[in-house]
Amino acid sequence: MAGLLVIDGAFGEGGGQVVRTSLALSVITGRPIRIENIRAGRKKPGLLRQHLTGVRAAAEISDAEVEGAELGSRALTFRPGPRIRPGTYRFAVGSAGSANLVLQTVLPALVLADAPSTVVLEGGTHNMKSPPHGFLAKAFLPQLARFGPRVELSLDRWGFYPAGGGQMTATITPAALRKGFDLTERRDPVELTAVGVVSNLPPNIARRELKVVQRKLKLDEAQTRIESVGGPGPGNVVWIEANAGKVTEVFTGFGQKGVTAEQVAERTVREAKRWLEAGAPVGEHLADQLLIPMALAGSGRFTTVKPTLHTLTNMAVIERFLPARFASEESSGRWTISVAD
Amino acid sequence: MTLSKKRVVLGFYGSVLDAGGGPKRWERWRPTVSLFQQPDLHVDRLDLLVSPDLESAAAQTIDDIRRLSPETEVVPIPFEVRDPWDFEEVYGLLHDHARARGDDPDDTDLLVHITTGSHVMQICLFLLTEAHFLPGRLLQTAPPRKGEEVGHWTIIDLELDRYAGLASRFEAVQRESTSFLKAGIDTRNAAFNALVDRIERVALRSSAPILLTGPTGAGKTRLARRIYELRRQRVALRGPMVEVNCATLRGDQAMAALFGHVRGAFTGAVSDRRGLLAAADGGLLFLDEIAELGLDEQAMLLRAIEEHRFLPVGSDREIESTFQLIAGTHADLGERVRTGRFREDLLARIDLWHFHMPGLAERREDIEPNLAYELDAFARDEGRRVTFTREARERFLDFALHPSSAWRGNFRELHAAVQRMATLAEGGRVRVGDVEHEIGRLEGGWTGRAKADPVAEVLGPAADDLDRFDRVQLADVIAVCRSARSLSDAGRLLFAESRKRRASVNDADRLRKYLARFSLTFADCAGPVPPPP
Repeated sequence: MAGLLVIDGAFGEGGGQVVRTSLALSVITGRPIRIENIRAGRKKPGLLRQHLTGVRAAAEISDAEVEGAELGSRALTFRPGPRIRPGTYRFAVGSAGSANLVLQTVLPALVLADAPSTVVLEGGTHNMKSPPHGFLAKAFLPQLARFGPRVELSLDRWGFYPAGGGQMTATITPAALRKGFDLTERRDPVELTAVGVVSNLPPNIARRELKVVQRKLKLDEAQTRIESVGGPGPGNVVWIEANAGKVTEVFTGFGQKGVTAEQVAERTVREAKRWLEAGAPVGEHLADQLLIPMALAGSGRFTTVKPTLHTLTNMAVIERFLPARFASEESSGRWTISVAD
Repeated sequence: MTLSKKRVVLGFYGSVLDAGGGPKRWERWRPTVSLFQQPDLHVDRLDLLVSPDLESAAAQTIDDIRRLSPETEVVPIPFEVRDPWDFEEVYGLLHDHARARGDDPDDTDLLVHITTGSHVMQICLFLLTEAHFLPGRLLQTAPPRKGEEVGHWTIIDLELDRYAGLASRFEAVQRESTSFLKAGIDTRNAAFNALVDRIERVALRSSAPILLTGPTGAGKTRLARRIYELRRQRVALRGPMVEVNCATLRGDQAMAALFGHVRGAFTGAVSDRRGLLAAADGGLLFLDEIAELGLDEQAMLLRAIEEHRFLPVGSDREIESTFQLIAGTHADLGERVRTGRFREDLLARIDLWHFHMPGLAERREDIEPNLAYELDAFARDEGRRVTFTREARERFLDFALHPSSAWRGNFRELHAAVQRMATLAEGGRVRVGDVEHEIGRLEGGWTGRAKADPVAEVLGPAADDLDRFDRVQLADVIAVCRSARSLSDAGRLLFAESRKRRASVNDADRLRKYLARFSLTFADCAGPVPPPP
């Protein structure tokens, strides 16, 4: 087995993503790692509760030995066991942290396991700064299926910050990853729909958000939908779904105390418009998700908007573990990111 | 992956702040709930004290916490309090709870959440934590600032020396109080300074008995008074300081003086008398020369220290009095125990904080600061300032610091010497002549040469307060002591006639008590070299 790989947690974007990507790839490659300077420079540096749940989840599916898995820890040593253990798992994230981020840590490994898995995730299902359930289910997982593995992600209970208490179940059917992934074109014009969701809040909030979306993106009311869902706490999200043939993109806005419904909707519309105007099939968040499968498959390419620091950081971390090398090429405001054989 | 200690939060279910049903509750800051929304706080168990009438209201809160933090075990603990603002009741109940918990700091990291509950409840939690009945740290939560969602948490460690910024502050305060104990005298003797540092810590932290030993004149009484003043200022001692020289207490009178008596308890007890122990209630009792206390009194005293109660002479009703005891003696109490003159159990009780005060000869470097102090004290008392000429000062210090200077009377003797020189100084200046005269006097005292006025030598200026009647008698007693080999020897000489008539008289005891009336011991009066047998 290769020696300990030391990762600088402060590298690039320097957030929890470095930790998650490193853990996922350590489990897959069997390479022991030591991550230092974890979340250096953040207001609350070191591992937080949701990161710890991710560490424990990764350790559980790989029988890993772990040192430094403590709150606030700035350094973590992770030695995975010899194989990925498929099975039925339940991971709970405290403090209404994002359950999706925990899924992100274990999913790349479990799709490569030698048997199916079921993962129940508890915690927040719709958190800011993490891919919400709708995005994973409608934008990312269909693309993952084009690599081979099939993953169903059901939303059993909505969990909004700060009450948490949501639940999702991922049913994972592993498969070897196919080479030659290609997502460089999209079908225009795209079909747009928008959904406003409220939990324990007046539906009028969603109505106001959708009104903004309709006006700015020229949608009919028939292309929008209001959903009033149950759940332990109050919450609101609005998302815009863009169906462009081989790809569906999802842009999400999160209701927030002190921010008007209109402002939430406008932000979301701005993100959707950037993608619409760029003409690329892959948005910035989906780009992040496609990097690991493409690198593991060994080849593929997609066209996206200008890569974020987040994306660039992720690429660099992946290259520490895998032989794959990313190339990116700009052409009239679109970037093509590829891994060559 | 093992967190070595289990993190446990103990706190009240806040009937106002933590309560609330309906989705709106998530828009309010709920202190206990907010603990479990913190991304950087991990809690293994929450022990939530819930008033039984709030049980159903608390159920919602507990449910929310369990959902927010699946890894936390939430244990509701019924806590019934009639009046949450009644300090005595709340403290008592929490004290019981604290004792029943039996948290082991080695495997539990206890955080006591003090943001919820009535102010009295919060105060009681604070006090119990501060006193280590709850062996943990305080946990405080605060509402969110603008633009934040879940508020903050802070751990407050009451081990204040962990805060660098406070440490220097405490050092300054400690310097102040040790300086106070030394009466502002900037002493240089390292051992003595270390001793006072220890006494300072004990004086402020403990109300247990303190034993001060050391030769007569070493400053036991002065230190006891300073300890009392320090405690009065810092720990708000309410009661008075009562000073007793045990050697002055005799027979039935000793019992009655210490513990009081009721009217008719014995001949001459014409009215009730409160007694010194009762007078010291809430304050400090200084028993000087405790070795001279009779065995019966020792037994009563032990009970009074341990149980804060005792029986006045002739009474069948016990009296309660809580006082701090400081005992002083120049005697070797261990030796007294071996010869059956001091109770071993009493010694064990008062020996907990035993400080031995060195004599002046062992702290010669402190003579100079003490000289300055005595001159200041003279100026304060007499309203005129006296200074030494440079020559006089050098001469006196040369003499005082010289190893052959015995300083048998210790600081009391130094005090007397300065008083005499200052009083006799012409024009506010002590000159070499005055110093030479004083040196002659001191040396004469130490070498046992016959002197015109033995009483003044031994007592210092206090001799002037004596009636001529007493002074003549005392002078002869001192003369006998100086020629005697021991206290018993002197006693035999002084009471030779009564001895002939009564076989069992205790001459030594009689002499000791006589000397104690003048705050003297045999050592104060005895000659420096025992005469050959």
